[in-house]
Amino acid sequence: MSLLDFAPFFSLAVFGLAVTPAGLFREQKMRIGLAPILGLLGLGVTLATTVWLGFRVNTTVTSPPPVISTDLFTYFFTGVLVTVAIFVGIASLTFMKGDRNEAPYFGLLLLSTLGMIVLAASLDLILLYVGWELMSIPTYALTAIRKKDPNSNEAAMKFFVLSALSSALIVYAISLVFGVTGSTNLVTIASSLSTIGTDTRAFGVLAIVLFIVGFGVKMAVVPFHMWIPDAFEGAPTTIGAFLAAGAKMAAFAAAFRVFIIGMSLFHVDWYSTFAIVAVVTMTLGNVAALIQKSFTRLLAYSSIAQAAYILIALATPTNTAGVPVGRPGGLFHVLNYSILKTAAFIAAAAVATRLPIITLDSFNGLSRRMPQTSLNIAILFLGLAGVPPLSGFFSKAILFTGALYSPFSWGGYLAIAALINSGFSMGYYGWLIKRMYFDEPSETSRLPEPRGYMTVLWIASALTLIIGIYPQPWIQLSQAAAAALMRNIPVPTP
Amino acid sequence: MIGLLTVIIFLPAVAGLVTLLWGRKDAKMARVLGLGSAAAVFILSMTVLGLYSYGIPGFQMTERADWASSFGMNYVVAIDGISLPLLLIATSLTLLATAGSWDLIKEREPEYYALLLLLETGIIGVFTSLNLILFYVFWEIVLVPMFFLIGIWGGPRKKYASMKFLIFTYVGSVFMLFGFLALYSWTRSPSFDYSDLATRVPNLSVPLQLAAAIAIFIGFAVKLPIVPFHTWLPDAHVEAPAPVSVLLAGLLLKMGGYGLIRFNLALFPGANSILWPYFAAIGLITMVYGASVAIVQQDLKRMIALTSINHMGYVLLGAFTAVAIGTTIGVSGAVFQMFTHALAIGCLFLMSGYIHEHAGTRNIDELHGLRGKMPQTVTLLILASMAAMAVPGLANFISEYQVIQGALTANYIFILSIVAPALTVGYFLWMLRRVVMTPGEGTRSELHLHSLLILAAFLVPLFILGAYPGPLLNNVINPAVSRLMHPIFAPGGP
Repeated sequence: MSLLDFAPFFSLAVFGLAVTPAGLFREQKMRIGLAPILGLLGLGVTLATTVWLGFRVNTTVTSPPPVISTDLFTYFFTGVLVTVAIFVGIASLTFMKGDRNEAPYFGLLLLSTLGMIVLAASLDLILLYVGWELMSIPTYALTAIRKKDPNSNEAAMKFFVLSALSSALIVYAISLVFGVTGSTNLVTIASSLSTIGTDTRAFGVLAIVLFIVGFGVKMAVVPFHMWIPDAFEGAPTTIGAFLAAGAKMAAFAAAFRVFIIGMSLFHVDWYSTFAIVAVVTMTLGNVAALIQKSFTRLLAYSSIAQAAYILIALATPTNTAGVPVGRPGGLFHVLNYSILKTAAFIAAAAVATRLPIITLDSFNGLSRRMPQTSLNIAILFLGLAGVPPLSGFFSKAILFTGALYSPFSWGGYLAIAALINSGFSMGYYGWLIKRMYFDEPSETSRLPEPRGYMTVLWIASALTLIIGIYPQPWIQLSQAAAAALMRNIPVPTP
Repeated sequence: MIGLLTVIIFLPAVAGLVTLLWGRKDAKMARVLGLGSAAAVFILSMTVLGLYSYGIPGFQMTERADWASSFGMNYVVAIDGISLPLLLIATSLTLLATAGSWDLIKEREPEYYALLLLLETGIIGVFTSLNLILFYVFWEIVLVPMFFLIGIWGGPRKKYASMKFLIFTYVGSVFMLFGFLALYSWTRSPSFDYSDLATRVPNLSVPLQLAAAIAIFIGFAVKLPIVPFHTWLPDAHVEAPAPVSVLLAGLLLKMGGYGLIRFNLALFPGANSILWPYFAAIGLITMVYGASVAIVQQDLKRMIALTSINHMGYVLLGAFTAVAIGTTIGVSGAVFQMFTHALAIGCLFLMSGYIHEHAGTRNIDELHGLRGKMPQTVTLLILASMAAMAVPGLANFISEYQVIQGALTANYIFILSIVAPALTVGYFLWMLRRVVMTPGEGTRSELHLHSLLILAAFLVPLFILGAYPGPLLNNVINPAVSRLMHPIFAPGGP
């Protein structure tokens, strides 16, 4: 492990700290300010180094286990989360144009991303908590960045209170785990929990419950999802994208680390818990999305349902043959969901430049007013619904196969529940496409489509199609990342 | 190996994209490109007819490529005696429907022809792919263009009809996907290839076979459609523009029939020995129900749509009664029925579109005296009705005869199936009595010669095959069907 392996972290930290002061140097002649340029440059450098490091990574299991791991799992999530940040950044060039908080906005964006990738990389609970807070605190400020807008403030307040609660629960869980095992390192924890005595077992179970609740708030699983629609609707739309795709996926990365490594040998059936939570969450998300009148709320509920599919990866242990099908599927869905959902929110931002997105009626006949936006929303929504040959289909198929491969007898029921939900979701995805393409608009004048937003939308749609048409390398990447994650699981001591 | 079949599959989609981009400014160009591409694909499919080795039972012209083998997805396409007739139907019906669209589609033509060609790619892919996921991908590719074709160019209730079509078939296909994923997981198959599954699935325990067979059956049954999942069909067919109805009835329903024979019938010997009476009974009910409801229709197009339900019931009945008796006559009748029904119903649908265009109504009672206006069209209407009634001398008679004979051999109770052709003759004759056998009225306004030729082109093969079905049945359909049915009659698998 060399210092070079941490290049993405350094790059985000350096650029993140440099962006805000760069805002002081205002150059009137430049079309784009110095701060956004530095911010996007930083994200670009990070992505480039991540991809480069991802190709040359060779994971060796070291003893004693490290505090921070630079394995392919880390780089996988770094790549995904930085891509989300880049999408959000490009869209923000238009969204934040002329705003006096533009420089801090980009600075906070980078620092929050840094927190996310620390979260994904940490093998130690203390570092994990540091990452969690580094991710969360900038997002509170970002949600409230329009400080004159009462909706934005209300959303930030709601978000802050629940996030703070989740942080507190995670700290409590960490302290319980430390009390039981005497360690904060996930690998050590895993070995100690395998031989835990009956007297302390209850504390371990309590810690699991607290971890599920703590992460669950950010992962937006039922019943901790209530803040999501309000926060996404009130927050600036680009930040909605960042929360829905970035923060949520980072929480999944943390949950993957804690549960799949830390709790792997603990003889408690947390798999069934995740399965039940997954089914309830996806059903509620889909049903609620169907009755929404506001586009951002629809996206919020659909993101709740989509995240529930990823929970299947946590609900499926390796099967008897040792084939982990669900986990690579979960990682693959993280990748696809992040691209699709970020772009869907940015499409909302594009529509919101001219039309109120508080009502779905704005979307009636949108294909004639904003043809590019409409086409992209249609592609993204079909991708989210899981229509092949778009990317969302393949990750869902692998996830559901993972459920069927499960050694638990309920695996088949989990798969059928998820599939029925997937079919049901076409109700609202298809309905919106119907509105855009078949319904009559109230006005027929063409509306301008900002180029910044369109860039992101076209890139995202192209990625969705490319990943869908040739999914092989992406499936292999997800499999390798999942394998890297599971390499840290200690060999059980009898 | 990439060869002729791959070209036939993907040429329409590529040509569709060219049509969209090139035809954007010039509608005439779009029409020419659309028709030219359909004709090119038709000519290529004729070369397949020339290169096919007749009398050989297995798959031919197999093309195989690596696609995403780490999740068992390979690109495998091939044809046999069951898919060859359907491939020809697909290319010829698309050509005729495209030609018919010249007079009937007047708005947004580039998009229309592009979607029509994309649809053709999906349909040909369904009939040729031998990997279950690849099959599913093509199956879903069909869904999206059809949704737009109905929703944009359809009749007054197009929005309702297109949404209903989308939801019904998507939810159905989700069950089918469950079946496919379940087979892959439960058999621990190395891939989704048909060849792998055909050897493994018969060894699966009967309860698991039943679960997968029923799930897959639902997917195909919605498309076929069977009673009670048929309600999307009359709406979709009536609202779709006439050329699209041709494809909907001529090809989309055949996808369901093809899937039932290729997958349900061939893969699950254990489950079918239990399920066949139920499936056959559903087929019988569908036949009689479709015919009974067709009697009372006032709208000519709706009546034709319900005829499809009636006629597709034969496919189900013929295919599954064969399980009981150990002869292939019912299955080969079912395959032949799909071929003959596609031509007869395609002709009727396109004609109803022309009649609507010329006479201004599709109401059967208001069409009285039509022979005064359109004597030649009326002649063709009589001939097409004869085909749909299965008058001896036309190929439809032979296919229906085969199905009913197969059913009667299985069990005498299926003598009930004779009710369906009787009812069919009844309502067609009653329709003809009201439309044709009334004194001619109005001034003559005949269809263009090219329209009449298009309509006649549908009927020519029916007359030829009605007189001389031997080559098609003995050298193409029967060898393939015998091979398909082999594992079913020989317990213990192939």
